[in-house]
This record gives sequence, structure tokens and C-alpha cells, in this order.
Amino acid sequence: MSVVAASAPSRAEVLQLYRSFLRVARKFTDYNIREYTKRRATDAFRQNRNVSDPCAAFADGKAQLEVASRQAVVYSLYAPKLKSVMEVHN
Amino acid sequence: MAARSVMLKYLRVPVVQAVQPNPSSTFLSSFNAIRRRFYSEEVRGTFLDKSEVTDRIINVVKNFQKVDPSKVSPDAHFQKDLGLDSLDAVEIVMALEEEFGFEIPDNEADKINSIGLAVDFISSHPQAK
Repeated sequence: MSVVAASAPSRAEVLQLYRSFLRVARKFTDYNIREYTKRRATDAFRQNRNVSDPCAAFADGKAQLEVASRQAVVYSLYAPKLKSVMEVHN
Repeated sequence: MAARSVMLKYLRVPVVQAVQPNPSSTFLSSFNAIRRRFYSEEVRGTFLDKSEVTDRIINVVKNFQKVDPSKVSPDAHFQKDLGLDSLDAVEIVMALEEEFGFEIPDNEADKINSIGLAVDFISSHPQAK
């Protein structure tokens, strides 16, 4: 368990966190959850771009990333039997 | 154990080689097997053609929501020419990973900020499909 750094996260660290979110999002087996995770991450990073306390936002993001990666495992155990109509390409 | 070996000896059937294999064909097939082992596509990977990579990347970038398709050119810079920010650049690199079916490591992904750099990286990567 890493200790949350007191100094503000660097630009590279924030982008890395964002990339980790998108990577975790891809792991969800269910189309809706996959797209939601991606959308939620994108919205949150945009919303917090000028946030006054980047440390707290970054720490929160890290915690949420852990939740997401745990949930990706849980969801993979209950994968939907059918694909969503949204991911069927003809 | 002893009973087993006796049984096996008793059951042994002479093997008659039905067809004498052609010596040149065995040589050829073993040569091919070696060639497959050492030069297979999976092991070596293939490098994609640069113009094909460029076309596919341009296609991916054009399909990105915030991009004006008319501005996309082979030497466009994500931030300067296409008006994207660093978060969008991350998303584009992730979309490129999906298009070419391999994972771009974080330190490389950070460097890709124009179509030209993406083309260079992907066309020099053996696992790009």
C-alpha cells in the first residue's frame, strides 16, 4: 500500500492514472460497465482539471482505481452470456 | 512390474514400414519445421508497411469525437494542430492500441503526441497487427 504523497501530483502521474483507468475499463466483460467506467473516468478528469486541491483528487482517483480493478475481477466471474447489441458489428 | 514387461513383450507387434519415405522430402519437411520454428510470424513478428500504418492511424484519429476530420494530416500534432489536450492524447493512444492489437508501454505512450511519431513507433513495433 503506497503512502499518498503530500506534494501535488505531477502532470505525468495524472496522465498515468488516467491511462490506468482506461486500461482497467477495458477489462470489464459487460459492455455497459465498460463504457460507463471509461466515461466516468473521462468526465472526472475533465471536471477536476482546475481543482483547488489536486492531492485529494489524486488520492481519491487512486482509491477509485483500486475499486475499479477489483470490480473488474468480480464482474469477470459473472460475465454476460450474450454480447450487448451495441458491440455487435455487422 | 515384471508381469507388465512380460505382457508388453508378448504383445509386441512387428512394425512394418508401409511406405519408404522419399529422402529428399524428409529433408525438406525437417528443414521446413526448423524454418517454422525459428522464423515463424509469432516469434519474429512482422513490421507493418508505413503507408498502411499511416492510413489506419489517420482513420482512428478522424473517428475521434473531438477531432475535425478535415484537419487530420500525416504530420498533424495532436495539441497544436488538432486542438486536443493531454487527456485526449492519452485516449488516442489507447484507441491506437486497440486498432493495432498490442499494448504501448506508458513511457512510450507519453512521447506520442503527433501522428508522425505514432506512425514511427507503430511501424517499428513487431507486434503491431
